[in-house]
Amino acid sequence: MSFFGFDTTLPRDRGHPREAPGFGEAPDPFAGFSHRGGAGGDDEALEFEDTYDGLGDQLDETDDTFNDDTFGSSGLEAPAVGKDFDFFGQTAKVSDAIHEEQLRYTRHQPAPKFAQPKAPKRTGYEKYQIPDLQASADLWGVGSKQQAPETIQQQTFIAPPTQTSAAQALPKKIMSLEEVEAAMRTQKPKPKAAQAPAPVPPSYPPFSVAQAQALAQATAPPQQQSIPAALQAQVSNVAGFPVKPPAPNQVGVDPRFSQPTPTDVPNFAAHPPQILQRPQPIPAQFSGHRGSPQPRQILQNPNRQPVQPAPYPRQFGSPAAAGGFPGAPVITNPQQLLQLSEEERAAFLIEDAKRAKRNHKIFLLSKDNGLMTPQDKNFITRIQLQQLVTATGGLNEPGSDAALSEDFYYQVHNQIRGGPRQNPNQPLGHFAQTYLFQTGGRHGGPGGRRHHRGGDNHMQRMEQQVQRAVEAAKLKPKNKQLVIEGSLGKISFSNAKTPKPLLNIKRQESSDASSRVNADKKSINVSANDRKSILRGIESVYSTLMKLEDHERQMPPPPTEESDAASVQEHLEWRREMVDLNQTLWKELKVMEPIVPKLSSPTPHPFIAFLSHGKGKKAIPRIFRHLDQEQRVTVLTMVVVHLDVLDVVRGAHLQPNEQQLPVAVREEVELFCQAVMPCLFGYVNEAPLSIVTGLLGLVIDGVNIQSVAYTKVGVGILTMLISRAELVKQAGNVNEQEWEQWTVLYNRLFDIIEPVLGSIFPVSVHSSEDMYVWQFLAAAGIGASPEQQQRLVIAVKDRVLDTVLQSKTLPADMASQRLSNVNLFMRAIGLDVELLG
Amino acid sequence: MADADEGAGAPVAEPLDLVRLSLDEVVFVKLRGDRELKGRLHAYDSHCNLVLGDVEETVYIVEEDEEEEETIKTIRKQSEMLFVRGDSVVLISPQAPS
Repeated sequence: MSFFGFDTTLPRDRGHPREAPGFGEAPDPFAGFSHRGGAGGDDEALEFEDTYDGLGDQLDETDDTFNDDTFGSSGLEAPAVGKDFDFFGQTAKVSDAIHEEQLRYTRHQPAPKFAQPKAPKRTGYEKYQIPDLQASADLWGVGSKQQAPETIQQQTFIAPPTQTSAAQALPKKIMSLEEVEAAMRTQKPKPKAAQAPAPVPPSYPPFSVAQAQALAQATAPPQQQSIPAALQAQVSNVAGFPVKPPAPNQVGVDPRFSQPTPTDVPNFAAHPPQILQRPQPIPAQFSGHRGSPQPRQILQNPNRQPVQPAPYPRQFGSPAAAGGFPGAPVITNPQQLLQLSEEERAAFLIEDAKRAKRNHKIFLLSKDNGLMTPQDKNFITRIQLQQLVTATGGLNEPGSDAALSEDFYYQVHNQIRGGPRQNPNQPLGHFAQTYLFQTGGRHGGPGGRRHHRGGDNHMQRMEQQVQRAVEAAKLKPKNKQLVIEGSLGKISFSNAKTPKPLLNIKRQESSDASSRVNADKKSINVSANDRKSILRGIESVYSTLMKLEDHERQMPPPPTEESDAASVQEHLEWRREMVDLNQTLWKELKVMEPIVPKLSSPTPHPFIAFLSHGKGKKAIPRIFRHLDQEQRVTVLTMVVVHLDVLDVVRGAHLQPNEQQLPVAVREEVELFCQAVMPCLFGYVNEAPLSIVTGLLGLVIDGVNIQSVAYTKVGVGILTMLISRAELVKQAGNVNEQEWEQWTVLYNRLFDIIEPVLGSIFPVSVHSSEDMYVWQFLAAAGIGASPEQQQRLVIAVKDRVLDTVLQSKTLPADMASQRLSNVNLFMRAIGLDVELLG
Repeated sequence: MADADEGAGAPVAEPLDLVRLSLDEVVFVKLRGDRELKGRLHAYDSHCNLVLGDVEETVYIVEEDEEEEETIKTIRKQSEMLFVRGDSVVLISPQAPS
């Protein structure tokens, strides 16, 4: 730490030293007494014994118990004292007691001549009313009169309060010892003359030195440890260094009390920097100091320490000295005070006490002061406000589809709850407003005496910011992009919901159209084959399907004869929309894609690919509801034509060494049978014979029947067609020609399928999943001629016998199940398993 | 281009639209904590919360034995239905049927 530069301390370290004066408070009354003695002994030589009140004897030299409390909790060793010595904090704890003590003491001073001692006493307050290091000119005068070397020293430390020195202190100026002494010599007469009128005793009490020394000895050890801090404090104080801006209350000091009294006037006149006496901001003081370097200031300078070893401890140890610096500005006040009326004095004291109290409060609250500047706070508040504004931002109008899709469940929940706040923007506005009002009240209201300008400024800025943000949010949905004239690009706004798109690629309509053509051309060859595009197709079908179903739910009441034009119109609109959606769906099913000869194209038809996925199959029942008859027959035709390329047919052939189909395939087959087949059945069961005949023709012509017959789905389709034909015939409304056609086709089918009839059953005879085969055989048997029935029986005779034999080893219910399956066929050709015995 | 044009009803506008393509398909899901799932994707949401059916879960555990040799153990679990919280999902991959 530099004693000369003064500025080496960290900002945080400056706080305490500044208040250092409080440090010497405890012995204050004693010091005052000494002064009193001095004041009283105007004419006669003062005897130490006369004036010494024996306070020094009362000091318990060994009782250092509370030193820690007074001087901080650091150890007794000097090294333990750091820069962060909490001197002020420790003192502040007992400040109340100190105040009381001092006030009491002040009251006990009956005569004006004792006014001076009050100065040191009042140091208790000084810890708040921070030190304009004004000193009383009187003290200076005292010191000068003595002229003894030690008195000079004394003066150095007690007199620091002198106006002259304080006013003229120049921190940066460093003089040699000789210079200092010379300056002092020249200086001394001056204060003497100047201070003549002062009520201070001309002669400085000799005892005070001894007293001080005794005191210093008594308290030296603990004090010394605090010397660095105290010294620093003094240095910065004396130098008038602007450690902190003066406490606000200082400004509030009643001018009355800081005004020079008539007696002081000459004094002040002699020393213009006396302005300092007034509670001016320190910078002013500082500049005042700059003017003229004075010896006193140099004496004060730590530089002198080696020269004055003895007084050194006393300087810091003595309450008078320590208290003297900060006490100085008020020194004049008590003098004035005592000259005032009783009432005024009481008022002053009360005010003083109040001030001290308030300052104490401020001190307690000020622990975390300065962590954030007002700008910081406002900055953060503004960020928060802006986020609030943009979060809901008014981007979406309440209730709009966008809002719904953004926050579907919340909206729905809100509607269900019927909460009062349907509009998410509303609470925000409220909140922001409330927020603004509250803070506005605090800063701009009558309470905001301090920081008037700053507070208002920030509030204004904040309000403006909010306003701007709200406006910006309002504008946003209208123009999400800002196109600056003459610029090549656009500036897009963004918020939390719609992040700023970094790339803004606008699709070219023309190229779009052409690429669509290309895509159409290629779709069969490339896209349709692509698994991803198939999946995408399925998803688009589902999307349309859901729209369609949604639309269906929103059907307006069908028009009646009483309906007005509007509702009829509405219904028509709905119809049209329905048709549109149906068309879209139909297009997306891609049923009408051209059929490519299977052999020439390895890729299946898009619709067949659609059906090859589970979700495609599942969609069929839902789709079928929305299709008209023509569309259904088209679908059925597509399925039948591509029967052998359906995944459930193509992939459902058992491999030579397989007993069972893979699980996945079986699941697909099951799904197809449960989802698709009923739809097809549903249609076929109402189809006229001509269509059934046509379908069978397609199967026979376009499909490898023998291969298809090995699969459950293939057999199922065949069964479906054959049985429907039988039913139509049995219903009797069939004309001969149609039946002829059918019979021809049936015979062809029979011829094709007969060779494989024995092997189309599931491999194991133990499998109970052969019902579909028996169903097929039954259907085939009904429609068969007697000769064909004969061939049927021969073809499946072994299987029938095996099944009957095996059923005998099974539990009754399973056996009857198996036998009834067989009987389906047997009865169709006029037989019964019972006959087989 | 073709991607966007393909299905008017289901344009790929965001990554999750790709996940949508795997709905009802078998997907491979990698999770935090060295876990993997393979199952049929029944549902998902914007947080990648998933509902999977017929799931096989594989947990990889690294164990150190006395010689400080690391061995990787796998634990497999089968679940009929799983809800997977999205914050643990690392990746979702369509699993081509094998």
